[in-house]
Amino acid sequence: MSMRSVFAIVAGFVLSATAPGMLLAQSEPSDEGDTIPFARSAPSEIVPGDPSDPGVSYADILRGFDDQSGWLTFSGDYSGRRHSPLTQVNRENVYRLAPAWTFQTGTLTRGRGFETTPLLYDGVLYVTGSNNYAWALDARTGRPFWTYQRDLPDNLTYGRNAPVNRGFGMLGNRLFMVTLDAHLLAFDRRTGDVLWDVVLADYEIGHAATLAPLVIDDKVIVGISGGEYPTRGFIDAYDPATGDLVWRFYTIPDWGEPGSETWPNEEAAMQGGGGTWMTGSYDPELDLLYWGTGNPNPDYYGASRLGDNLYTAAIVAVEGATGELKWHYQFTPHDIHDWDSNHVPVQAELTIDGEERRVVMVANRNGFFYVLDRSNGELILAEPFTDTTWAREIGADGRPIVVNNDGSGGCLPDQWGGTNFMPPTYDPALELFFVNARETCSSYVPFEPEYVRGEATMGGVVWTDRDAEYGALRAIDVMTGERRWEFRYPSATMAGVMSTAAGLVFAGDHQGNFMAFDGATGENLWYYPTGSRIWGAAAMTYMLDGRQFVVIPSGTTLVAFALPRYEFASPAGALIGR
Amino acid sequence: MKSTFSQIVAIVCLAAPLHAGAQLSNPFEGDARAIRAGERLYANRCAACHGADGKGATGPDVTMLWLEGTNDERVFETIREGVDGAVMPPSFAPDEELWAMVAYLRDISTVPPFDAGDGDAEIGREIFAANCGECHRVNGAGGTLGPDLSNIAAVRSREALIGSIRDPSAAMELGYRTVTLVAADGERIEGVVKGEDAFSIQVVDTDARLQGYLKANLRRFVHEDESLMPRFGRLRLSERELDDLLAFLATQREDASAAH
Repeated sequence: MSMRSVFAIVAGFVLSATAPGMLLAQSEPSDEGDTIPFARSAPSEIVPGDPSDPGVSYADILRGFDDQSGWLTFSGDYSGRRHSPLTQVNRENVYRLAPAWTFQTGTLTRGRGFETTPLLYDGVLYVTGSNNYAWALDARTGRPFWTYQRDLPDNLTYGRNAPVNRGFGMLGNRLFMVTLDAHLLAFDRRTGDVLWDVVLADYEIGHAATLAPLVIDDKVIVGISGGEYPTRGFIDAYDPATGDLVWRFYTIPDWGEPGSETWPNEEAAMQGGGGTWMTGSYDPELDLLYWGTGNPNPDYYGASRLGDNLYTAAIVAVEGATGELKWHYQFTPHDIHDWDSNHVPVQAELTIDGEERRVVMVANRNGFFYVLDRSNGELILAEPFTDTTWAREIGADGRPIVVNNDGSGGCLPDQWGGTNFMPPTYDPALELFFVNARETCSSYVPFEPEYVRGEATMGGVVWTDRDAEYGALRAIDVMTGERRWEFRYPSATMAGVMSTAAGLVFAGDHQGNFMAFDGATGENLWYYPTGSRIWGAAAMTYMLDGRQFVVIPSGTTLVAFALPRYEFASPAGALIGR
Repeated sequence: MKSTFSQIVAIVCLAAPLHAGAQLSNPFEGDARAIRAGERLYANRCAACHGADGKGATGPDVTMLWLEGTNDERVFETIREGVDGAVMPPSFAPDEELWAMVAYLRDISTVPPFDAGDGDAEIGREIFAANCGECHRVNGAGGTLGPDLSNIAAVRSREALIGSIRDPSAAMELGYRTVTLVAADGERIEGVVKGEDAFSIQVVDTDARLQGYLKANLRRFVHEDESLMPRFGRLRLSERELDDLLAFLATQREDASAAH
């Protein structure tokens, strides 16, 4: 473990060389002359175990966006909607949105993107980065309080191909982060010190962990990556105080248990993939976690795993208290296209045929948009949101009527899918679901993979016609599945989406543009070229000192946008003068 | 599960131990079994970015590496170390696996010797200057709108080059695709697309001017199916003249290989 924090070094010196309660740091010159590590700390606050601020409670996370000064969990609240109530930036003034600050992470994501969603608490952004860096940043200026970097082994497996991280979970004064060598860490948010460190899985056989942990009442919920390797996926719940495992749900059932009959034999099942690498959503009233599961392994070669391969390429509803499976719905039975279903499940309350329904919505990698009853998994709606020819429709039995499984019969989505894990958003006022869709044309050539410990078992190759691809932000009517409008990009994007109560939709693209749209019409209202593709990340937003900030990760940088400062009557001295 | 690849590696290793020396050579060069194993490894680890056929997808074409002057050791080191500042990760696989991939890449990179034919290279030089030099350059002389042809005979077969000359629109390389812009004032601009996003387009026009345009400021823009390069049919370029031109381009190959 390495702790590369100026703050920690200074704090350690203070604690070891002086009596608690003495305030030295403010008068000590630091490496950076204008950095004041204890800017908002009274001396007593630096003594471990005696916090004057108890931090974030479960009740705070439950309130979600009702507290407009925070962003306390990956999607902003448990619903997975990523729909902020903030309206200061609106359709009339968004064209004046300008960069307020930029934070340079100094760490490059080879092959992927800067995929994080920062959390905001009490004026501080808690940010995870690629290669298991992490920071606490001043949300007004982007200046760091502390920096953490994990010493990673040099024989990472999945983690070397996708050295990404999607964010912290938070409870009390603790932050939770998973690592590329498949650990779960707890930090003290004030110092960046690691409080405990537990192993989730053996990274050497192909595991890694990349998602933002989801904190529910007294549990930290995490999932695992590694479905490109012969592994078995799971969802875990840990005790936030101790790091003890509370329960584990395997996405592939034990041999002999219900669902295991969808595998030909135990060996195929126990290395059948089903990763859980994207943060789920949670219904606290039903105490159900909704979580996407990944592709079966080998990815493209299905002959060694004949059957539906439950519960891969599915959504599972798991009880928060126990980890018991309540229901499941498999989007892609016997997937052979690497179409993980690791999406953010988006909850909504809809009136369907005069009846109030609690639903969960997923725009899936297989090109279909689904609405399910989230209390029991009943399929309400399934319509294509891409021009895929994979399946004619989803039949009355909930199974796809597949017409083109190898790409010989028209445009089949590539292995990145009709969309991917990048967060979509839902605006309940407009009843529109916004998603970045990918239109691609691929064909698949499977072959039996070689099994080499620590190496991926893709089991085939994919041919893609890059001239035929494009991307599009699409607005989907959740009642009918119809596309209301779209905005096209020259290539398929991997960027996420956020919406606000001002009727704005913020999206990114593969050319690096960060954009704002009128959610009702699809009109582009503003854009800013960030200089690097926006990959896997969606924006977050917060109010601070009466000013709304919108933050997007791109390339190696985090950029915060806001309306120009002179437009606000902010408390005198609340902002550092610039 | 026991890997058949490991068995192949073990057998080949006995026959051809790794050499320690100034420049590493591939112990598996030309070995059919290693090439086959390398093909599988490539498909698993490289094809997602470099394309199933190595011709490039999101990552670059890797079938031109040797023709562009690299060697086995440099390819090995690139796979081992990854590429700083790019998306390619380092590999921690055993040396034997990397050498098998190098053997495979070298195998698919082999272009048959360019058939220079019996044309007259000197006459070809004049044909090039009169017909091609406005847009193409060889050894630093000529235009910048089209691709540099100094080394073209090393990376394209005679048949492919004839195809590109007789029917240039059949396959337009990325970076040389035609666009027509109509500015707000009605000015018409033709050029090739170097970059494009949802809001702007970066063009080199027929006057070789580099310029970016905001789409919102254009009356319209059209991606054309026709290359800016004219078709050189038989009336414009006879079989004899084509032979002379190819002979000239083939001499450039000799110059290029001498330079390495």
